[in-house]
Amino acid sequence: MTPFTLAARLAAAALIAAPMALAPAHAETSLVIAVKRDRYSVDEQKFTFSVLNPATQIVETAVKPDDSFLPIPVLFQSWDYADGTYVVDLREGVTFSDGTPFDADSAIASLRLYDQSKSDFLQIDQQSFEKLGDHRISFRSEIGSALVIENMTHRATSLFGPSDNRAENPIGTGPYLFESYEPKQHITVVRNPDYWGEAPSVDRLTFRFIDDDNARLLALQNGEIDVIGEVTPQMLLSMPQDGSVVLHESRPIRYVALLSNIHGEAPFNILQDRQVREALAWAIDRETLAKVLYAGRSIPAKGVLPGWMFNLGDDHTDGFGHDPARAGALLDAAGWTMGGDGIREKDGRKLSLRLIAAYPHVSTVKPMPEMLEQMFAAVGIEIDLVEVDDSGVYASTYLDTGQADLFLEFASNNNTDPTYLLYNIFSTNTVWGGYKFIAPGPHVDALLNEARQAQTRDEVIANVRAAHRAIVQDDLVAIPILLVPNFTLSRPGIEVPMSEYADWIDFGNVTVSH
Amino acid sequence: MLRFILVRLAIVLPTLLGMSFVAFAIVALAPGDPVMMELRAMGIVPTPEDILALKAEYGLDKPFFLRYLDWLGRALRFDFGTSVATGRSVMSEIAIHLPATLALAVSSMIGAVTVSLALGILAVAAGPVGGAGIRGLTILLVSVPSFWLALLFIYVFVLRLGWARLVGNGSLSDLVLPALTLSLGAGAALGRVVFERVRAEMSEDHVRLAIAKGLGPTQILLGHIAPRVIGPLATAWANTFGALLGGAVIVESIFGWPGLGQLVLQAIAQRDFPVIQAYLVFMGLIFFATSLFADIVVILADPQLRRRLSDA
Repeated sequence: MTPFTLAARLAAAALIAAPMALAPAHAETSLVIAVKRDRYSVDEQKFTFSVLNPATQIVETAVKPDDSFLPIPVLFQSWDYADGTYVVDLREGVTFSDGTPFDADSAIASLRLYDQSKSDFLQIDQQSFEKLGDHRISFRSEIGSALVIENMTHRATSLFGPSDNRAENPIGTGPYLFESYEPKQHITVVRNPDYWGEAPSVDRLTFRFIDDDNARLLALQNGEIDVIGEVTPQMLLSMPQDGSVVLHESRPIRYVALLSNIHGEAPFNILQDRQVREALAWAIDRETLAKVLYAGRSIPAKGVLPGWMFNLGDDHTDGFGHDPARAGALLDAAGWTMGGDGIREKDGRKLSLRLIAAYPHVSTVKPMPEMLEQMFAAVGIEIDLVEVDDSGVYASTYLDTGQADLFLEFASNNNTDPTYLLYNIFSTNTVWGGYKFIAPGPHVDALLNEARQAQTRDEVIANVRAAHRAIVQDDLVAIPILLVPNFTLSRPGIEVPMSEYADWIDFGNVTVSH
Repeated sequence: MLRFILVRLAIVLPTLLGMSFVAFAIVALAPGDPVMMELRAMGIVPTPEDILALKAEYGLDKPFFLRYLDWLGRALRFDFGTSVATGRSVMSEIAIHLPATLALAVSSMIGAVTVSLALGILAVAAGPVGGAGIRGLTILLVSVPSFWLALLFIYVFVLRLGWARLVGNGSLSDLVLPALTLSLGAGAALGRVVFERVRAEMSEDHVRLAIAKGLGPTQILLGHIAPRVIGPLATAWANTFGALLGGAVIVESIFGWPGLGQLVLQAIAQRDFPVIQAYLVFMGLIFFATSLFADIVVILADPQLRRRLSDA
């Protein structure tokens, strides 16, 4: 072979190989995630000034919850709290996606945005912001709260950079950049090449808004989407068992509980007697319910807050087993004797309770209401079951008026403020109108107020534990039934890093095996 | 004709006013507080002051009639306020979703008219056995719920044959299955109207005369029957079009079609009062417009009515 021929062949080989060499090191990975509703809204003038799931990839919070729901650093590197004042060291080397450095000035400007919102639950004193250095700031709580940093783990407090139109051009420090948005259809974000932290593994995330539960499940089975981010209990019931759909679950976080009306007027005043409430608690077969509902992934509950949350532990509540004999004895002691028709009576009055199922809607707990009806009937309690599939009707027609004895709820403490759930539902100061019928009274109010005003974490948690025990054990206004995990569904070959807090599921780091 | 239209417009004003009141009242008096529902869903700890401020922002703190008059004043200028759920103006929300609904309604209407004419005329033309078969098919299609048909189509065309996708992006190809679902039910119902009208006309003297004169079936159908049935059919078509615009909620939801149906379903779930009220008014206007259009077609198709109107 002559040198010329050799050179010509090498040149031809190089020409053929060039495109392969120039090709990207990896094929673009993309993920399509189905969520129920389009909640993308970043209007600073309204209370949904929020960055729920899709936009959470664009902007970041100051802190995030750790495994125990305690705040750990994100954009805030460290913080100190003393005498009502927070001193914060900001993370250095961070820039917003428009190039603006994240420093004391831009951090204060971002935090000031929350005062414009009608739901300024951070309640930072706007006059108190001080720049103590290029990356050090201080501020005070308007109400002397030691829980401001805890509240910053809520995605709705994500820090936005300067932008004329946050809806169409959201500027954040997050791992993804806004690409496109079609209302009620989809939002797409692409990887931020200049992200300060560890780069996410997925290049492009598309969130599809599919309202219908069946349609979301069918789309997954048909390979049109990769992950379902919002899974309803009905979807678990109809989920195929042939391996075509994979269930991912977090630790149990959501509770199913019966809330008792203890301040109602006749005929809704039977549950003012704690013995009847305790009889209900012992009459429930939680093990059976746990097997039947939520794909068998729930567990019997001892409270409405799981023990792992805030390091509360499992020892401060005792819980209730299934003991119909004990339930019957309690009812006997309370003067409710068995009638000829199998329903207990007292002074000519039947032991009949109206049960409203459920918050947020009855389909989230089906078929639990009917199962509870049978369990209570077994100890001589008649249930007037009212099923409502609308949280507006649930609240306005029944809860706010106290026109029932029992309210079945499927909810969670979806806030890293340890006092959030208990204060809003079980305090007489509740802003959620109807829960005043559930609130135990001044002793629990005092515990929760002390928790909210406490200046150390230990004090907060000690008071929350005491209030929680009062609510689910001593006063027993909430009869715990089950604790349920947070779920996602995916096609096979996908591993979703789950979080108990739906907004903190890190879809950018989903593992996809091809 | 202009006078007729003006008179119709004048007559409809009290109706529209009443409709606006009903639309406002049934939403405003429905149980559920949009502010509280949204705040709880968000997991936010509001203060009582926050809640009062939010209620004031959406006018929920005022007495019912004051709220209605405020709303009516703005509605007359097509300002229906701001969506509680999204922060966009209600008119923007409608503008975003209306094209998809119009596309679905128009394509479904075309399909329905085609199906109705085919079923109706074939039922008349076919023999006793064939006619009974077609009428049976018509009854079946009228009786089948649209959601069941939608799920059947998804099973067959999406999951089994793979000819269509379930989660589209509003493109033309994504329109086929939802439009087909709506067309078949609506077309079958209209087909019965076509069958009855055509059969009635066939026993009229002028059609018998045409047959006696030896005209072909097509000439009789187009030249003698069609002009006489177009008026009643136009009324039925107009009502169907209005129903398709407003009644495709379930089909839109199942196929994820981004139309007004999806908008209002979510608005109801979130108690997004401004959106629901605007939707109800909008649908009322659509029905009024389509029935006016049908009336005009009836007049244009009927020489006696035309003459009576011009005499008046």
